[in-house]
Parts: sequence; structure tokens; C-alpha cells
Amino acid sequence: MDAHGFDKPRFLRLFAVAVYFFLFAPILVVILFSFNSIKSLNVFDGFSLQWYEEFFNDPTLRDSLFMSIEIAFLTMLAATVIGTALAIGLVRSRARWAPGANILMLVPLVVPEIVAGISALLIFSQVGIALSFWTVVIAHITFSISYVTIVVRARMASISQEVEEAAMDLGATRWQSVRLVLVPALWPAVLAAGLLVFAFSFDDFVLSFFTTGEESQPLPVRIWSAIRFQVSPTINAIGTLMMIVSLSAIALAVLLPRLFGRRESGLKVLTAQEG
Amino acid sequence: MTAGGFWNRFLVPGALWLVLLFLVPLLFVLALSFGYVDDLGRAVYATDLDNYADAFNPTYFPILLRSVLYALATTVLCLLIGYPVAYYIARFGGRYRNALIALLVLPFFINYLVRTYAWVALLADEGLINDALVNIGIIGEPIQMINTPYAVIGGLTYGYLIFMILPVYGSLERLDPAVIEAGKDLYGSRLQTFLHVTLPQTKQGILAGAVLVFLPSVGDFVSAQILGGVDTYMVGNLIQDQFFAANNWPFGAALTVVMMLFLAIWMIAYLRSAARDVRGAAI
Repeated sequence: MDAHGFDKPRFLRLFAVAVYFFLFAPILVVILFSFNSIKSLNVFDGFSLQWYEEFFNDPTLRDSLFMSIEIAFLTMLAATVIGTALAIGLVRSRARWAPGANILMLVPLVVPEIVAGISALLIFSQVGIALSFWTVVIAHITFSISYVTIVVRARMASISQEVEEAAMDLGATRWQSVRLVLVPALWPAVLAAGLLVFAFSFDDFVLSFFTTGEESQPLPVRIWSAIRFQVSPTINAIGTLMMIVSLSAIALAVLLPRLFGRRESGLKVLTAQEG
Repeated sequence: MTAGGFWNRFLVPGALWLVLLFLVPLLFVLALSFGYVDDLGRAVYATDLDNYADAFNPTYFPILLRSVLYALATTVLCLLIGYPVAYYIARFGGRYRNALIALLVLPFFINYLVRTYAWVALLADEGLINDALVNIGIIGEPIQMINTPYAVIGGLTYGYLIFMILPVYGSLERLDPAVIEAGKDLYGSRLQTFLHVTLPQTKQGILAGAVLVFLPSVGDFVSAQILGGVDTYMVGNLIQDQFFAANNWPFGAALTVVMMLFLAIWMIAYLRSAARDVRGAAI
């Protein structure tokens, strides 16, 4: 390791440690005060689970939690199938309009979420679809397809078409070669992308905010209303519970592909690095 | 069936979905921006430019400008904070590199509202930081930190830092350490090596990071709502108001279009480089 360079590792290390602290301190504070025995966010009086009890005793909040999980699950399924197909098509198709599809796929990544939220709200109201659970799911799928496509396509780049051709030489149909050769090879990336989408969808606030109905609302929308009216340890408890759900999805996204893939980490798949 | 026809079919569901549920709705936003609200409060399509005139009047234009300034400040801060960290991990992380990046990514999978809310408890007048500073005796009275532009920009930086770090890290990781060593032999000083060798080689990563931080920051309304006040309103708050409070959808649509025009150059630049880079490594 180079210990002299411009880089002055000692100073850099100190700086990096400070940044990690800056990133984690607020989160640790949220978790800590979710266990506070008094209703305070600056004096920790003692350990208690009362804010969690309050959360689970509130049927509206409980429903919102389950609703968020259902939305994330459906979004994950649909976006993974559509996004994977799109990735395969973008790499293999020679259609004249394929580059157009490529650009179209990239646009959602650069458009601020509020724009996507507004356009979804507008189209639903123009077509006459009442806002509901399903409008949230549709909006989430629209925004998630591109993530799946990017992650899966990065994986496609490292797969040679020759293996499929070999399968076809051995008598497989074109469709069988996709199902039996290509898809299994893509599986680690598909799985990781799906779980990533689950976490995105579960945490998403902006799209849900614009596309959800009045009666049932996803958890982040409830947090939004709660934060505006009061600051309470219940919000800390909800936040901590949400962390557990999304971090579980991410942990699976990193670990599961290892079981399927040879020795690559899900992290590499997720950050779309080569290999 | 030809091979070409076979593969084209894979494109259809995704392309159709994105056209119908992303592209067409965007065109609706554009169309409605020329409309108005009738006496019954309904949005009506028309060909007026009134909404655009309003967007540029002295009440609203400063808000647009402020959003761009806050987003620029956020982008610069993310670069100043993110680059050294990415550099440290890429060059000195050794076998812990992946773990260090994973640790860095972790907080960003925690709900953005919750992460922003976390800062309220820290920055409030009776928050943890003010309490600690008063108790130690550094300050007599709590300093106002919340409801300031600094809090809003800080919230944005906290929210979008990772979008700078990942692409910069990607470009640093691809950089051959031997090139830096050669640079040292050539230029002598560390600073010169950095300016002439490392920095130019990571330009792509910096640009990708800047775009990925700048775009969502301009449209953000969460940070300004939770950590700011009326004086720190951003265009996102204004747009959101038109759809929920003021019930003036056409004006909200016009503000959205104006905001997109401000962002257009950045978006096109990013799309061009991303479309060229088939791996899409700059995500």
C-alpha cells in the first residue's frame, strides 16, 4: 500500500471517518430515541417499547405498513419481468427503433421524481382512474423498470451469445435457449435488481404521495403527514421498522446472488460493475 | 421467424409501458401547462401563455432561481465531501473496499423522509446539538440552525451524497495506480499529479455524479419542507402546492415544464453519455 503520495492517507482517513459519522449519526439518533421511555427527542430517559406498541395498536398505521409491503412486492415482480425482457431486447435486438427504446429507458433516471409523480397523477385523472392502491403500483413500476434494465444489462454484457447458439445447435429452440441458458445466467442480477426495486418502492415517498388515494396510504405518506403536525418518538419507531424491512431486502440482494452466482457478490451486481 | 424479430419482441412490453405511462403523461403535462382553471375550479386545456408569464413574475421566479442555487451548492458540497471519501476507499481501502462502499450505501436505503426528519432532532433550537453546545458552554443561547438555507442545503447533501460517491468511485477504481505513480515521476508534487493526472482521468465520474445530484436536488421538496421554512421554499414545494393546496394544476404543469427546461442541458448531456456507454456504468 502506498503510504506517501498526494493522498496523505492519515488526513484522508480522518476525513472519511468524519463522513461516515455524518452519515450514521442521525440514523443512530432516530433508532435510539425510538426506545425512549418519555416523549422527548433530546432527553433519553430510559428504555421502553411503548412507541412500537403504539404503532402496532394503531390499525391505520399497521395497514399502511402492510400496504407498503404489498406495493413493493407487486412492483418488484412486474418491474423485474418487464425490465429484464427490456434489457435482453436492448442488447440483442437490431431493430431500428431499439436506440429510441434505450433513450426512453434512461429518461426516468434523470427526470426528478416530482415530475414523474405529477405526470402519473395527471394521466390517471385524465383517463378517469380513481387514485388507489393500484395507481401507486403502476407509478412505481414505471419508475423501477429502468433500474432493473440497467443492472441486468450490465450483466448481459459479460455473457457471450455463443452459449445460446451452442444450445440451439444441440436442438433447443430459440425460446428454450433463452429460458434454459440466458435466464439462469442472468439470474443473480435479476434477483439483486428485484430486491433493489423492492427497497426503492417500499421507501418511496414522492411517487406514492402523488398517486395514492385518500383512504389507504402507504407508510411514507403517513410519515409525511405525521412529521408536518408533530415530532414524536412514534415516527422514530416507524422509521426504525422501515429500516429493518428495507435493509433486509438489501441484505438479501447482496447475499442471495452469491448462492446462485459463482463467487460474485451481489454488491458488484448492484453497482453494475463489470465481472 | 428471423432472429431479429424474435429479439424485438423482448423490447415490446417495456417500451410500450414507458411510452404509455411515462412519455404520454409527460406530454399531458406539457399540454396542460398552456391551460387554465375555469370558474368551477376545473383544469381546462387551452393555448395560453399566461402560466409561463406567471412563472417568470417577481413572486415566483426567485423561487426557481433559489432552487437552482441550492441544487448547485448541494452539488459542490457533495463533490467536496464525496471525492475524498471515494478516493480514500479506491486507493487505500485494500481488501475492505467493497465493505466500505457497502457501509456507505447503507444509509441511503433508509427512507429519505426519516433521514431528513433525523436532522430535525439534531438541529432544532432545543435539539441535541444546541443542547450539547449550551451545556458545554460554547454558546449561551441556542443558535438557529433549522429553518435556514444551510439546513435545507445540508439536508439535500445528506440525501444525495451517494449519487456523487458511486460514479466517482467507479472512475477512480478504473484508474491504474501505475498512472498516478508515473504522474509523480513526471510532475513531482502531489498536487500537480492530482491536478494533471487523477482529476482529468475521473472527469466522467465527476460529471455523472454532478448530474445525478443536481437533477433530483432541483426538484426536491422534502428537505425544504422539513428543514426549512417559507423563506427557503423551493420550486418543488411550489409545484406541489399547485396540485394539492392551490388546486391550480395548469400553473403547476407550467412550473414543471420551466423546471425541466432549466435541467434540459444536464439531462441531454447525461443521456448522450449514458446511451453511448452501453454498460450504463454511471448509474
